[in-house]
Amino acid sequence: MPTLTIDNQTITVPEGTNVLEAARQLGIEVPHFCHHEALGSVGACRLCAVEFLEGPVKGIQMSCMVLAKDDMVIDTGSDGVLAYRAQVIEWLMTNHPHDCPVCDEGGECQLQDMTVAGGHGVRRYTGPKRTYQNQDLGPFIAHEMNRCIQCYRCVRTYQEYCGGKDFGVMGTRQRLYFGRFSDGPLESPFSGNLVDVCPTGVLTDKTYRYKSRIWDLQEAPSICPHCSLGCAVIPGARYQELQRRRARTNRRTNGHFICDRGRFGYGYVNHPDRPRAPLLGHRRVTWQEALAALQNHLHEFCELYGSGSISMLSSSRASLETQFLTKRWANALGSGQLCFEAHPRRDQAARVAASQAPDCSASMEDIRSCDMAVLVGADPLAEAPMLALALRQAARRGARIVVVDPRPVELPIDCERHAAAPEELPRILQGLTRPQQNAFASASEEFGGALGRALLEAKNPVLIGGSDLLGPQGCQMLLKAAEACSPTGSTCRSMLLLAGPNSFGGAMLSDDGPGFDALLEGMEQGRIKSLVCIEADPVADYPDRKRCRAALARLDLLVVFDCAATATVQEADLFFPTTALEEAAGTLVNNEGRMQAFEKVFSAGTPLLQSAAGDHPPRFFSRDIPGSHPQPAWTTLARLLGRDAELEKVRRELEKIDPRFDGLAGLTADSEGCRVVAPRQAPALVAAPASGVTASDQLHLLVTEHLYGSELLSDLSPCLQAVKSDPYVWLHPQDVARLKLVEGKPVRLCTSLGEWTLELRINGDISPGVAVVPRLRGTVVETLVPGSEPMLCRIEKA
Amino acid sequence: MRSCEPLLFKNRRAEGPVFLEGYRKNGGYQGLEKALRGMSPADVREEVKASGLRGRGGAGFPTGVKWSFFPSDDAGEKYLVCNGDEMEPGTFKDRQLLLADPHHLLEGIIISCYALGIGTAYIFLRDAYRECAGNLERAIDEAAQAGLLGDDILGSGFSCEIHVHRSAGRYICGEETALLNSLEGLRPNPRSKPPFPAIKGLFGRPTALNNIETLANIPHIVTGGAAWYKSLALTEQGAGTKLYGLAGHLETPCCVEAPIGMPLGELIRDFGGGVWKNRSFKACLPGGASTPYLTAEHLDVALDYEPLEQVGTRLGTGGVVVFDDRTCMVAATLNLLRFFARESCGWCTPCRDGLPLVCWLLERLERGEGTREDLTMLQEQLSHINGRSFCALALGAMGPVDGLLRHFAEEVEDHIRMGRCPLQD
Amino acid sequence: MATLLSEKQIAQLKRRVKETPHPREMVLDVLHAIQDANGWVSDEGVELAAIVLGLSSLQVEEIATFYDKIYRRPVGRKVIHVCDSICCWSRGSEAIMLRLQQLLAIAPGETTADGMFTLLPTCCLGACGEAPALRIGRTLYGGVEPEQLEAILDKERAEVES
Ligand SMILES: Cc1cc2nc3c(=O)[nH]c(=O)nc-3n(C[C@H](O)[C@H](O)[C@H](O)COP(=O)(O)O)c2cc1C
Ligand code: SF4
Ligand code: SF4
Ligand code: SF4
Ligand code: FES
Ligand code: FES
Repeated sequence: MPTLTIDNQTITVPEGTNVLEAARQLGIEVPHFCHHEALGSVGACRLCAVEFLEGPVKGIQMSCMVLAKDDMVIDTGSDGVLAYRAQVIEWLMTNHPHDCPVCDEGGECQLQDMTVAGGHGVRRYTGPKRTYQNQDLGPFIAHEMNRCIQCYRCVRTYQEYCGGKDFGVMGTRQRLYFGRFSDGPLESPFSGNLVDVCPTGVLTDKTYRYKSRIWDLQEAPSICPHCSLGCAVIPGARYQELQRRRARTNRRTNGHFICDRGRFGYGYVNHPDRPRAPLLGHRRVTWQEALAALQNHLHEFCELYGSGSISMLSSSRASLETQFLTKRWANALGSGQLCFEAHPRRDQAARVAASQAPDCSASMEDIRSCDMAVLVGADPLAEAPMLALALRQAARRGARIVVVDPRPVELPIDCERHAAAPEELPRILQGLTRPQQNAFASASEEFGGALGRALLEAKNPVLIGGSDLLGPQGCQMLLKAAEACSPTGSTCRSMLLLAGPNSFGGAMLSDDGPGFDALLEGMEQGRIKSLVCIEADPVADYPDRKRCRAALARLDLLVVFDCAATATVQEADLFFPTTALEEAAGTLVNNEGRMQAFEKVFSAGTPLLQSAAGDHPPRFFSRDIPGSHPQPAWTTLARLLGRDAELEKVRRELEKIDPRFDGLAGLTADSEGCRVVAPRQAPALVAAPASGVTASDQLHLLVTEHLYGSELLSDLSPCLQAVKSDPYVWLHPQDVARLKLVEGKPVRLCTSLGEWTLELRINGDISPGVAVVPRLRGTVVETLVPGSEPMLCRIEKA
Repeated sequence: MRSCEPLLFKNRRAEGPVFLEGYRKNGGYQGLEKALRGMSPADVREEVKASGLRGRGGAGFPTGVKWSFFPSDDAGEKYLVCNGDEMEPGTFKDRQLLLADPHHLLEGIIISCYALGIGTAYIFLRDAYRECAGNLERAIDEAAQAGLLGDDILGSGFSCEIHVHRSAGRYICGEETALLNSLEGLRPNPRSKPPFPAIKGLFGRPTALNNIETLANIPHIVTGGAAWYKSLALTEQGAGTKLYGLAGHLETPCCVEAPIGMPLGELIRDFGGGVWKNRSFKACLPGGASTPYLTAEHLDVALDYEPLEQVGTRLGTGGVVVFDDRTCMVAATLNLLRFFARESCGWCTPCRDGLPLVCWLLERLERGEGTREDLTMLQEQLSHINGRSFCALALGAMGPVDGLLRHFAEEVEDHIRMGRCPLQD
Repeated sequence: MATLLSEKQIAQLKRRVKETPHPREMVLDVLHAIQDANGWVSDEGVELAAIVLGLSSLQVEEIATFYDKIYRRPVGRKVIHVCDSICCWSRGSEAIMLRLQQLLAIAPGETTADGMFTLLPTCCLGACGEAPALRIGRTLYGGVEPEQLEAILDKERAEVES
């Protein structure tokens, strides 16, 4: 641990820390362009010079390239250093177009900052400047090559960190070109990170083009709501419009980057069809009217049928505070008919996940630093995109990555793939739970056993499972397997991918409460007369849409709280508009059990672009801000409970009632969050029915999440429509030949839920005997939901 | 005229290259036999270290010392890479050697591989040297046929193979770590050091890297012994002979082998035929395009590493480029800097953007448009580029600027004062 | 695309790529093969190289555009490389370049209308002892006087035509 002195302050840093990082630990920011915490030092920009006065190195050197050593005495601002840095800026500015007024980076541009800080006010070079043709890089990223300062951060992010292969650097000397081989959309699902890493206005967010300067934006630390990982983000809003999202740094979770679904999924907040006023039937009413109606009805039901006739459903989209107050409200009404997930298997799986000991669960940071990862039934890019990036970082350090899946799981790394049939997965997990065993009942179990032994020999192994494919039983086996595969002196950590950003929170609060199946039964039997959906969309999320619709139709009262025009909202008798995540504060518990607080970014209201058709100021007068009716669900619940709508109080109450949430009240949104301190009890599971393929023309139907088009909110984002796929079915070439089908031709998919015509795609990585169909909302197959009981299907020529 | 028994050029004939027969007739492969039959690898390394041989690729690092950092005894894949990029203007010695006598290099490589416990060698050859590549490929075939290359060489149990890699231009590929990237099929930007190639080089494996001429000296050190080799030099601290390129304004430009430590003036007079057209000597680059100029007052300096350092320049590659009294040194420097700016790999700012700015300043000065501010700016460039770039290309590039400002300040001033080049009438 | 190299050549290169433990190492060999057969490497050439090497087109382009002796734009039947480095400059390369421009009626970087010659400046050819030097196709000419150029061009032209 070397001790050194920087600008008269002494600090001791870990071996291997470079001087730039050591200075940063003292709060001294050495100007730099090419260094990036996640990308490391490459010594290209040569801006980070400091002067070494004493110690093993002398003179002006690049701080990012020199490791901190004992007895170093460093001046980061000597005259020589300042003159040199000003020179570097002059070099970088010789060809720069200096077009700040029309550059989207302006105000958050490192080059601008450095130019001003370096005092480079006059261009001494008067020769001609180099210019470039820009490329069309697709819907997400704008390209303005003339502004480039050749720091190579973009290539290093895109190729090295993210594993993309279609963006890079071409040419040499002063004629470098950062771009693609030819015009076309960037292929990496992490392309948006180029916006954050590029220190200039070359690569900017196309969806945010010419919208705002950073100082006009309302920004606050927030969490991405588009999968269960809970990546840290900073949304930015202006004129009542959410205009962009950028990555925030959380070293335990996403690190510095986010996925494109997370970055560009923000558009749901501004959706023109978003219901923004309370509705009674189809009639707009005031909050008072709506609340009175709600209270009257519920009172009536209690009187007439008892409190058991009232049921409540929240979801993994709801904040922990909302879920908690939903539970309090149900308790207050005396109803036990409450659950937090409309999809029973997903519900059970989340309960299993939450039953894991918190110190055995793997964070994304654990995954980035693991030396072996086995994924069983998990498709990171579809179910939790940033997990794919975390795995890539592990692989770059030499970790062994094994994917066991019936689907053609794609990862931005080379990895070992094992195309297991769906019915093989439990047997493989079985083997994984007994790595020490000598003889196995089947080859699949033996394979699992061998994987288990490899995990036992690793130093920091992780076992990752997807709850949709594994189901609750599989998830439970996976947790058992992780225990069995823990090397001595270390733990095999595990991670389960869950349905939504707060599945874990709901599972913690569920205790042994009923699943939505039981609620539906109550409705079917007429016992349950009313359902209050709080940010839940059972019509779309319950795997059997027909059954769900029929049951809901029997209700006397369907109440829906939501921020999006969901399928369930269409059926509501009484509707309450809620705020979107960015319009309120709250807490989410991610799939590893990490509680993460988020702040309010801006107040709900119809974007000016819509209410004033782009005009400013709007041409009508009103006391209200148009579209500002949505309220955070938890504040309404607090009102119904007769309490103060104070977040602090809600958090403290939860912490007090349920000590597993210890630490919640003290959480700040810009922290790394903290794990729940204890698990819930494991849920009692009933064995799943075995489903063998009976007829030779039958196939296993696997409905799976897709990067774009599956998750509710991001699917409402207009800019993601461009990358959404048309519905298709994936088959193994063997099955295609056996069934005499032709690639690219439409086929007919026949299931017990219905029949549809889709495009046929062939994939050799898929397990034979399986048909994979992505969940795509708003398409013909929208009623197919992942994570259902195993299902069979037939595929015929259309 | 001082005579010198040539070592590396001993088979150089006007008629063309010498291949296996001729090479062996003249003592070829005796060094290899001696090494394989009578010396341990450590003996060979010791001998090379004692010989005082210094790298001929430009940096002049003592070869034996460099080899001592190499994990010769470690198991696993290790490589030897022979640097034949030779693209620094004024440097054409490696080509002369390969045109005359390809086996000379092969023997050097095989002995070096034996000394360092290496089984695979690559010769990295610049694109323009197709004829040399042809000679080498023929020589490799011959050597393999004769049991001098391949498995179990001369029944010694030592095996080694040699591949020739054809590059596609770019001076930066000669920088050792850029060369490794180039060989691996990556963009030839230099790598940061440490780790040095000896520890983590080609494909992440230990790699010994030497210049063609350096390796061609090895057989002679083995046959003649370190003491004899060292005694060939004319200076106390020097060792061996050197291939000097003689180019520029000379009567008879050529490439010659002469002892290390040959006085500059003597070399120019005896081998270069003196300055052409009976003009007088104004300046020279002593060792290729990246070495600061010497002037008439330096004609007595010994062409050896230390003496040249003492007068603020380097032996470099030994490519002496002479300028007569009618040469505008601003124009010469501009020519050199244009080369370096064009060959910058584009990785780091001082080189990629600094060198073009230097060119722009020199252009202004040369055209007579330069001002005193431009001169100040040029001086700033010198102090800000030197030592601040990622690799030695930009440092080398500033060698001529350094020489210009040190030795020809008045000539630069004249350009500003007169508003034109003082050497043009 | 397949016409850029013969089926046999492609198969051979693919085999070599498969055999080496480090396929990327072959990138210049493949580009050289395509250039030797076609005079230059077109966009399709880059795409073909990418297929042979199992890389993306961009990954090949990153390499191809680094080297100045891989031509990514069409060139004439023969490329004239005129050394413009210091030794040749000191012995009159500028006059050589000017004379060639006159004789061919093109500027550096251009190709003659008949597609015969492309004129390019180049850095040191390693022929400093024979300065001024130039290379036409694979032939090196040293100690060239501007007056000899016409004859040299005629000879080179005749070589192609015969
Ligand atoms: C820009 C640059 C170009 C170089 N070009 C060559 C070259 O063409 N041939 C060469 O042998 N060394 C060249 N070198 C030196 C090599 O990096 C390295 O020092 C040398 O090959 C080591 O061999 P040696 O110790 O035998 O001299 C170059 C260095 C730099 C910085
Ligand atoms: S595009 Fe941006 S990130 Fe890439 S090199 Fe240029 S300035 Fe750096
Ligand atoms: S990985 Fe998930 S949480 Fe992270 S940015 Fe993407 S969608 Fe959002
Ligand atoms: S000094 Fe920098 S830009 Fe120049 S060749 Fe070296 S690494 Fe490349
Ligand atoms: S940050 Fe150190 S060189 Fe760029
Ligand atoms: S300078 Fe022209 S060949 Fe060397």
